Amino acid sequence: MRERPGILRGRIAAAVAALLISQAVPASPPAEPPLLAQAVESGTLPPMSDRLPQVPLVMDASMNNLNPGRYGGKMRMLMGKEKDIRRMVVFGYSRLVGFTADLELAADILHSFEIREGREFVFRLRKGHRWSDGHPFTSDDFRFYWEDVVNNEELFPFGPPKSLRVDGDLPVVEFPDDWTVVYRWSRPNPHFLVELASPRPLFIYMPRHYLESFHPRYADREALDEQARSRGSRNWSGYFLKKARQYKLTNPDLPSLQPWINTTRPPAERYLFRRNPYFHRADENGLQLPYIDEVQINIVSSSLIPAKTGAGESDLQGHYLRLDNFTFLKEGEKRNGYDVLLWKALNGAHKALYPNFNSRDGQWRSLVRDVRFRRALSLAVNRHEINQVIYYGLANESGNTVLPSCPLYDDRMQAWSRFDLEEANALLDALGLDVRNQRGIRLMPDGRPLEIIVHTAGESTEETDILELVHDSWLKAGIKVYTKPSQREVFRDRIFSGETMMSVWSGLENGMPTPEISPGELAPTRQDQYHWPRWGQYHETGGKAGEEPDIESARELLGLYREWSGTTDPVRRKEIWQRMLEIYCDEVYNIGIVNAVPQPIVVSSRLRNVPKEGLYAWFPTSYFGIYHPDTFWFDE
Amino acid sequence: MTTHFVSQEPFDPHSVEKLTPEQERLYLSSQWRLMWLKLKRHRLAVGSSIVLVVIYLFAFFCEFLSPYNLHTRNTDFIYAPPQRVHLFHDGGFIGPFVYGHTYRLNMENLKREYSPDRSDIQKIRFFCRGDAYDFWGLVETDVHLFCPAANGHLFLLGTDRLGRDMYSRILHGAKISLTIGLVGIVLSFILGIVIGGIAGYYGGFVDNAIQRLIEILRSFPELPLWMALSATLPVTWSPILVFFGITLILALLDWTGLARAVRSKLLSLREEDYCTAAQLMGAKPGRIIGRHLLPGFMSHLIASASLSIPGMILGETALSFLGLGLRSPITSWGVLLNEAQNINVVALYPWLMLPVVPVIVVILAFNFLGDGLRDAADPYK
Repeated sequence: MRERPGILRGRIAAAVAALLISQAVPASPPAEPPLLAQAVESGTLPPMSDRLPQVPLVMDASMNNLNPGRYGGKMRMLMGKEKDIRRMVVFGYSRLVGFTADLELAADILHSFEIREGREFVFRLRKGHRWSDGHPFTSDDFRFYWEDVVNNEELFPFGPPKSLRVDGDLPVVEFPDDWTVVYRWSRPNPHFLVELASPRPLFIYMPRHYLESFHPRYADREALDEQARSRGSRNWSGYFLKKARQYKLTNPDLPSLQPWINTTRPPAERYLFRRNPYFHRADENGLQLPYIDEVQINIVSSSLIPAKTGAGESDLQGHYLRLDNFTFLKEGEKRNGYDVLLWKALNGAHKALYPNFNSRDGQWRSLVRDVRFRRALSLAVNRHEINQVIYYGLANESGNTVLPSCPLYDDRMQAWSRFDLEEANALLDALGLDVRNQRGIRLMPDGRPLEIIVHTAGESTEETDILELVHDSWLKAGIKVYTKPSQREVFRDRIFSGETMMSVWSGLENGMPTPEISPGELAPTRQDQYHWPRWGQYHETGGKAGEEPDIESARELLGLYREWSGTTDPVRRKEIWQRMLEIYCDEVYNIGIVNAVPQPIVVSSRLRNVPKEGLYAWFPTSYFGIYHPDTFWFDE
Repeated sequence: MTTHFVSQEPFDPHSVEKLTPEQERLYLSSQWRLMWLKLKRHRLAVGSSIVLVVIYLFAFFCEFLSPYNLHTRNTDFIYAPPQRVHLFHDGGFIGPFVYGHTYRLNMENLKREYSPDRSDIQKIRFFCRGDAYDFWGLVETDVHLFCPAANGHLFLLGTDRLGRDMYSRILHGAKISLTIGLVGIVLSFILGIVIGGIAGYYGGFVDNAIQRLIEILRSFPELPLWMALSATLPVTWSPILVFFGITLILALLDWTGLARAVRSKLLSLREEDYCTAAQLMGAKPGRIIGRHLLPGFMSHLIASASLSIPGMILGETALSFLGLGLRSPITSWGVLLNEAQNINVVALYPWLMLPVVPVIVVILAFNFLGDGLRDAADPYK
């Protein structure tokens, strides 16, 4: 055991369940965080032992190679937009169940959970767990969400969200006692726990004691409407939802279960998050987490973030830093007291080209639906050159698929991601695109030159550089590329409406999936799959909008996805994953360039417990989330 | 008896102030000649015009004068710093040469490090064959004034993130940046004279309408208006069309000042006797404006036009810098500067900001020349 002066060491009497839950029984009460000490002394705040749940979640060395730390300090971070403060929910990563660093699901806010037949979920809460304002957190908060919020027709006209349904059916929800909640579906729901552990989690609980006063079941409706109108909302429901944003963090009064709570009311340029005095995690010495008292988020223009980070104005920064900033950041390392780490991005492709299957241009539509065309496009990309020029040769040249370190990876997935202009040209000729104009550009069957306008969200020169290199190699295949940058919202709308021919975006979100994680990304299930937005929309809306997929392989993927959702058999699930990946890579729906791109992470040299190597991704790691920033601490 | 002296010489009215032949030539010379004489005394203006002529010649022959083509990528030499040209090696004269670069990727900080390799002497070749180019659509050739040694490289001003030679790119950029000013000014000149001429000569309602239009155009903030207009250019346009589109946009917003100058001059000149005389003799408005009125203040117009060329060049640079003007693959100084706007360049690759230098030089030169022209425009003062 490591020992540190100044810290009263508690002893762990363990009662460790399979879900890494242990019980801390401190020999003497551990020291209060200095920030709270005065309040505890004066009696306005109960002592730490009363603020922690009876059984806190203990973050010990067995979890993440953590070293026990000390209290204090303010962590500064930089964000590019005001709404980025929601990242604190992502980084805080306080979830009912969450992913561990090994990407396994484990109880976090929950004391424990039980799954029966994949369709019945029994959640047990921690006794004595409290909201950040000291009010007990009980099954009543789940009941409030279920009965008064999500099943209230005025608040949710279409009822509970999709992730709470299995083929449209809702669960039976029971609240046997104050600390138990049961969700029961008639069929297995493999998405439920993953949704709860997501970077943008499904909040199935709400602080009843606070939100009651905004709900007409518990307060006077007339008065609420009146109040809502005076605050600029149309009626009470709009006002209620505004007050109840657990993800967007715009309401500093809203009680929370996150390690740090927002104290600044937007709009502002500097947001201060203070420690949650009732947070449910403790270290192995019995000290309540988080170690760090305050997190300060400064909002600055995103193009300035690398410069400001290099000047030492951030203690923990990953967002808005790119590999080509690495050299610059490294220069200031000694001078400004930080370390630059290289984590790995987890995307299936760092950047991928998405031909739009739902383009309004009929000629183009029929062209991209021909697999030979897509394969030819992929073969005509010189990935090696792009890797050398833009990524210092450090990335992995690959199509949009899982990472090589993933157990589901197979070399055959790369069949169409080699550089072979000869075969690309042969494929294009075979397609009937063998007539060229005087500039050497192939002509489409209707006589137009094959000029592809690639839309970008216009956020980085990285995309335009890639496109410039792609432009040159595609030109040798007789295809001309134009780049059109726009704004992110416009970019998305244009893709959704079919105005675009092709777009650039990052590839598959999770390059390290396990068979237990939904393969939905591979099938047309979501509108923001930029190669088939309307097919995804069709699935998302249950057929109310969008179009039905009309190529055989996409239908097969959808069928496999449905089969995966219905089965709990791990062997079959793995088979389905493999088959889906095989189809996805063989059909080359989109053209990945490289993956496993290193992501620079700047960490103050005083900050401890930040892993030297990590995965930096939205899902499933929630960026820093699974590495638990509440266990980070400042050394002298 | 007093004799009254009477000179037998014929009467000479100029006898009091006798003109030397030089003075005579000066007094009798035309307005243009007087302007020229006055301009010649403005040293700065003369110097500037020489600089401009040289720069325009560079732009005209840019393919010949640059060792590489605009888009030649040397992916082995990304972010290579400028190379120094040497004449002597170890005390012996060799002629102009550069030391070859040795490249190493520093894995510690991922910096591409180049150091001159003193054993690798690369003599610069002259009148040599390099990248093929099409000289103004006339001849296809591959002769350059100078090129790197065979299998060598020559980056006088370093390379950018794709390993493209900055010196060649700046020269090629000059062609676009400099012509956009000239083409633009010709367009706005025509617009200004025609519209201003109509307003000034006819006066009344026409004048009123045109003046209000000008006021409306001028009341818009310039940059957002440029940006809005340039955002409307379709992306499928070929680079050369975009180039003319941008020129047109610049010209469309620039003619107003000129039109006002023309109008006010015309308003005063049309009351002159010679104008009335021309009208009485039955001359048509077009002839009166073109033949009698415009020449009266043409010099003024030229001076003010030369002062607005730098505005045009800056306008293009600003638009491209903001990513709204010209787009790669067309390359102007603004496009080059657009690519240089990030912290990495400032801290690590400062040579990418070099396109600023020609911009400043050209703008200053045009301003000095315009200044001189304006002084010279009224030579009778």
